[in-house]
This record gives sequence, C-alpha cells and structure tokens, in this order.
Amino acid sequence: MDFDWGFLVSGNYAQKLAEGVLTTIQLFGLSWLGGFFIALLIVGLRAIPFKPLDRVMRLVVEYHRNVPTVVQIMVWYFGMPQLLPDSLRLWINQGQSEFLFAVVALSLNVSAYFSEDIRSGLRAIPATQIEAGRAIGLSATSVMRYVTLPQALRISVPPLLNRSLILFKDTSLAMVIGVTELTYQVKAIENLTFRSFEVFAVSTLIYLGCSLLIMGLGAWFGKRFPPAFKG
Amino acid sequence: MKARNWMSCTAALLLGTVGLAGTAHADRLATIKEKNRLVCGTQNASVPYAYQDATTRTFVGYDVEICKALAKGLGVELEHKPLSTEARIPELKMGRVDVVAGAMAYLPERAQQVDYSLQYLQGNIKVLVKDDSGIQSLADLNGKRVCASKGSSSAAIAERVLTGSRVMTFQDVASCNLGLQSGKVEGFTAGELVLKRFENESAQSGSPTRLLPEATYVERIGVVTDKGNPELIEAINGVLRKMDESGELDAIYKQWLGEDSVYKLKRTFKVEPVTTS
Repeated sequence: MDFDWGFLVSGNYAQKLAEGVLTTIQLFGLSWLGGFFIALLIVGLRAIPFKPLDRVMRLVVEYHRNVPTVVQIMVWYFGMPQLLPDSLRLWINQGQSEFLFAVVALSLNVSAYFSEDIRSGLRAIPATQIEAGRAIGLSATSVMRYVTLPQALRISVPPLLNRSLILFKDTSLAMVIGVTELTYQVKAIENLTFRSFEVFAVSTLIYLGCSLLIMGLGAWFGKRFPPAFKG
Repeated sequence: MKARNWMSCTAALLLGTVGLAGTAHADRLATIKEKNRLVCGTQNASVPYAYQDATTRTFVGYDVEICKALAKGLGVELEHKPLSTEARIPELKMGRVDVVAGAMAYLPERAQQVDYSLQYLQGNIKVLVKDDSGIQSLADLNGKRVCASKGSSSAAIAERVLTGSRVMTFQDVASCNLGLQSGKVEGFTAGELVLKRFENESAQSGSPTRLLPEATYVERIGVVTDKGNPELIEAINGVLRKMDESGELDAIYKQWLGEDSVYKLKRTFKVEPVTTS
C-alpha cells in the first residue's frame, strides 16, 4: 500500500477537511464561551448561602459530570424536540439544528467541570480576605467580583486548560447527531475513497496541532496572569 | 522545541504502522488454500445484510450467506468476521481478513484502493410519494419538494439527479416520513429497503404511499479484496457465477430481500462486472 497524499488535492476533499476544521473550531469556541459563562453563573449561585439552591446546582453539576457526554448530546438532539408539537418539531428539523444542540450540550457539559475547577480556585483564597473585604464595606457580590474571583481564576488556569483540551476532543462526539465537524468529514471521505490510513493520519495531525495551539494559549495566559501568591 | 519532538514522534508512529501494512504478499488465494480457511468480513449491525439475530445470538444476513457460499465454493472453511464500518478497509489492508462482503457499492475512487468482484447485489435509491399525489415518474417531481436525510448519499444523489426539484434535508428518515405524511414535502428519497418499510407501514395506517419504479441511482455491490489479487477475484467470480446458475443466489435473495422477507423485492440484477452501467 502506498501512502499517497495526492488525492487530497484532487477532488474537493481538502475543502471538505477545511470545512470540518472550521466547524470543529466554531463548535469548540462557542461551547467554551458558553461553558465558561454558565460555570461563572453556577459558581455565583452556589456562593449564595441558601441550601436548596446549592443542592439544585449540585444536581445539575453531577448530571453533567456523571452521564456520558455522547448521551447528553443525544438527549438534547433527539429528546428535546420530542417535547415540542409536531409542526414546531418539523420546522426545527429542517434547519441546522444539530449544531445548535451540540453547542448547548457541550456548553452545559463543560460548565459543570469548569465550575468545579473555579470553585477549587476559590477555596485556595484565605477566608481572611473575604472578612477584610466585608470589613472595608464591600458587599458580598463585590468581594466575589473584585477580590476572590479574579484570584481564583488565575489559580484555576491549569485545570481549566486541562478541561479545555478535553472539550476540544469532545467536539468530535457531535458527529453522532450529524454535525459536519472534522471527524464527520474524515469518516465521509474515508467512506468515499477507502483511503483509511491517509485520512485518519491527517485528522490525527490536525487534532494534535490544534491541541498544541490551545496548550500554547493556556501557557501564555498563565504567564501573563500569574496567581497572586503561590501556596 | 517540545512540540516539534511530539510531532515527529507521532509522524514516525503513523508511518511505522503504514510500513507494516504495506508488506507485499503474493496472491491471497494461495494463502487461503494453504490455511484451508477463508476469513470473510461483513458489516456487524446492518439489517438485512449482516446482523446479530436476537434469539440465536449468531450473525445472519445476506452477506453472511454470501460468505458461507464463497468458502464452500472455494472448498475451504469459513471464518466469519463482523466488522465496524471504519474497520472494514484497514482490516483488509492489514491482511486480517481476506475478503469483505460488506454491501459495499462500487465507486471509481474506492476501486483505486480495493478490487471488486462481479456484482452479487444491487441497491436502489428510490423516491416515495403519496399514493393519491398523481406523481408517476421522477420527471413529475419537477418543481416539487423532495426530502432526504441529512448527509446521506441519497441527498447528494438527489441534488444531482432531481435537478428540477427542491431537495430538502431533514435530520433523519423518520422526519422525512413525517414531512411526507404531513404534506411538507411531496417526495422522500432514500435506499429502497428503508422506503419499503415506510411504504408497508403507511398502507396499514390508512394514508398509503407508493414507490416510484425508477431509481435515482443504482448501487452496484461486489465482494471486495485488497488491491492486486487477480487470482482471488477470479476464483470469487467463478463461485458467484456458479451460485447464479444453480439458483443458490436466487434462494439467498428470496430469503433476505425477496418474497420471504419483509421487503418483498424482485431480483432484477445480473451477476456482471460492477463497472458496466
């Protein structure tokens, strides 16, 4: 068997791969942003000293941490539209709903992990800082906003980066609901051309390259915004 | 620096794998005869081609029967190997299976990687319409909306063949069927086996549908071997021709796709090269 890259330029395979990479990056970017903001929301809500609310948020986090990601994606895509009336469902099924549902599912999934990472960061801040903040007249939310959270985020960079890399690879799971991301395109090209080794090698290199880029970004961020003190 | 090391390591690993896979071998037929065993791959969850029977826990189906007949025809024992869709070609290239009867349609691009035997089956992409719609042929679909499941080959073919129709892609075949029943689309295109089931279902539910006799595309399906095994292909072709003459192929067809199956299809294809159209 000869290892032949020439086929990539013949036909529209390179274009298909490029489209796949673009979709993967969009999926990752949107899910990351969505996940990060939901995580901040969860952290904020859990900081409110009200037990029932904390329990509800814990339930949300536990669901998203303990059910396989691929199942969560399928629940959103196949389960949610079932709750809607027929006409609305048909309308949704006509559009590109799979991308949207994949972003929602991945955002929620990663937000559960992100929130735990940020909470760990918060726990690293000495309680005396909160007391000091309150003593100079800051409200509880202001203490969070100006004192603890900025420090906690810097402390949580390594675990957040860790999770971001996993999220990047998890985007490939969106293939099961027909999102035309990189893995989907790779399988489609493989099925058309039967050049299994070449296309899987190409996708390996692309995933590796992107992961290294994310690692580089994380390293830069960690250097640019180092934690205030090292325990 | 670190990154570059990683890259070269991975590249070396990948190339290493390919190097192993590329080991040249003599015609596979000799090996099969020598081992007295044909390793024949099929799909592993593809009704009615090759799937696990719920009660007997064994793999059954059209392709499994073809594997059995091939081994018998070559006078060797059969080792049946169910394969996932992604594993089909790597397994063949690595030499872990001798042949694959995996309902694999001929495409010129695919034929650069593998060799095809004579066709042992044909698959038709067809269009389902409502019985009372008055649509009789593919030409009648001009200006009408036709549904296909997203990302399917039927969708790609519909856009090429039904140029006068508006091809809409829904998330899956069930949505398309719902769209046809509720009048959102006038036609629904997919593989004949899928459509046949919906046709049977609709007859019972009181809003009957009907398959247009013309196919938008005919898939010509052959047994596949790794490149460069002319003797093995010739031997397989010989067995297939004999099966055709003796009526064995008819019997297998009847059981899995014809009268005795839920599909009730009539065999129209001949055992002939996959390339002639």
